[in-house]
Amino acid sequence: MKDRMTPLERAKAIARGEMADRLPCNPNVANGVARVYGCKISEFNSNARLIAAAQVASYRRFGYDGVRIFTDLFPWAEAMGAKINFPVDNTADLAAPALGDLSDINRLEAADPYKDGRLPVHIEAMKYLIEELGDEVPCAGGIVGPFTNAFFLLGIERMSKLFFTNPEVIHRACEVSLETCIRYAQAIIDVGLTPTISEPMSSCTIVGPRHFREFGEPYIKKLVHYITNQGNPVTMHICGKTEKIWEDIVAMGIAGFSVDNVVDLQKCKEQVGDRVKILGHVDPSAVMYAGTPADVRAAVIKCVQQAWDSPKGYVIMSGCSLPVETPFTNIEAMMETAREIGYPIDPEKLDKMLR
Amino acid sequence: MSDIKSKLLLDLADSVVNMDEEQTVELAKNYIAHNLDPYEGINQGLALGMDRAGTLYEEEEYFIPELLMCSDAMYAGLDVLRPHLKQDNLEDNHKIVIGVVQGDTHDIGKNLVKIMLETTGFEVIDLGRDVPPLDFVNTAKEIKADIIALSTLMTTTMEGMQEVIRLLEGENLQNQIKVMIGGGPISKGFADKIGAYYAGDASKAAVLAQSLVKEV
Repeated sequence: MKDRMTPLERAKAIARGEMADRLPCNPNVANGVARVYGCKISEFNSNARLIAAAQVASYRRFGYDGVRIFTDLFPWAEAMGAKINFPVDNTADLAAPALGDLSDINRLEAADPYKDGRLPVHIEAMKYLIEELGDEVPCAGGIVGPFTNAFFLLGIERMSKLFFTNPEVIHRACEVSLETCIRYAQAIIDVGLTPTISEPMSSCTIVGPRHFREFGEPYIKKLVHYITNQGNPVTMHICGKTEKIWEDIVAMGIAGFSVDNVVDLQKCKEQVGDRVKILGHVDPSAVMYAGTPADVRAAVIKCVQQAWDSPKGYVIMSGCSLPVETPFTNIEAMMETAREIGYPIDPEKLDKMLR
Repeated sequence: MSDIKSKLLLDLADSVVNMDEEQTVELAKNYIAHNLDPYEGINQGLALGMDRAGTLYEEEEYFIPELLMCSDAMYAGLDVLRPHLKQDNLEDNHKIVIGVVQGDTHDIGKNLVKIMLETTGFEVIDLGRDVPPLDFVNTAKEIKADIIALSTLMTTTMEGMQEVIRLLEGENLQNQIKVMIGGGPISKGFADKIGAYYAGDASKAAVLAQSLVKEV
């Protein structure tokens, strides 16, 4: 099936309550775009044109409803001094946090998005992306939020213990982290893209609501406000369990909330769907990576059944970034199912599709 | 069981659950000073505390930071009790090679599983994080391990898990060396697909490992 609208036309039509061809659908292909384009993931570390070209190639192939410049969780921590492992053809990972000795906490400085680490490469990639696709698909710049980034400044395990032993250090790291995020968000906005925030460490799978509220929420909220005050809607993704902090997240004033597949989608819609658009949550591992196209189809339909009538809107999405080796056939099946479901949603048709 | 012993065991467990490293050390010293069995101190005191912490994690009362503090307290207690263990109390006949698959450097989950396995009597060889698939298989062959335990937090490393199983099958070792996997993105469905055993969390990993060596 072919789409009859561009993603931008579709998003605008649905927002106005007009007719559209289908629900928006974003499989969240991430670094898998390297497989579509035919390059090594490590080439993204220095080649802005390539990052954009791979994003464009993947969008053209699958026709999904959002593109984003975001290669891994660590460019901001790296720009502030963290050491990163760069595998030749896989996603980068943290090798050593920015801060060795905790007593150096006051030497930690916010990064300059136009100078430090890979940040300038990403900003440049955003320019190419919006030049190429800006008039047909929403273009986003990804940011890792200030709380999660603080973990990479202090070290994940060390910061976890500092909650109990040295809260001041965490607050300081979050403050500097926030300044980096704000500068980067401004750079994204200046290029004309929309910032989206990933906050994986805020998840209740990792950190409890008590620590989130004390150390995470105040800083994340400031970043959200910084972006929304300039008239930009913000979508936030948090991996893992989040139910206990839904109200906190929504109260920050985000426009979209992208949820992990471990979350009860229907319950999420019922509790916060009146205040925030919900995006999710096809299982990126068991279904998208390890399942068959038929599994993908069933999973997409079940997600739509649970959340299509969410008052502030719903976007079909994977529960997290797809594994790099996710079969193309499964990504195509996700898009095809969205097209097959069509718009407006007919609940009876969904039931029939599952039979 | 004497009153003092059962009280000390309970206190040991409580101090682990309460994340109190200093108190755990004091209690462990007191426990040894009473000439009590260090093996029981570990299994029915420290490990029980860690078990309860694990339950609190499942109930979403505790989270990763709390578990790390508990495990620090538990390790501090272990350091006191371990030197007093008689060698023949150690069930060192069952060995497990554990590590985080290449491409991932998150090892919180792996470390918790290791603690659980050690306190249930396994000899655990820890290859650390970012480990190439072949290293798991070579080490397991070398030390005649019963189980390879693979952990990951990242979807990007799941291929590596499958590769370990392929390597074992290539040498026809898949029945001698069982593979158990776990971590954030891992599902039972994925484990079944690649022919591995699935452990939902650290305490379930310990129970699973025990049942796997009994099967052999």
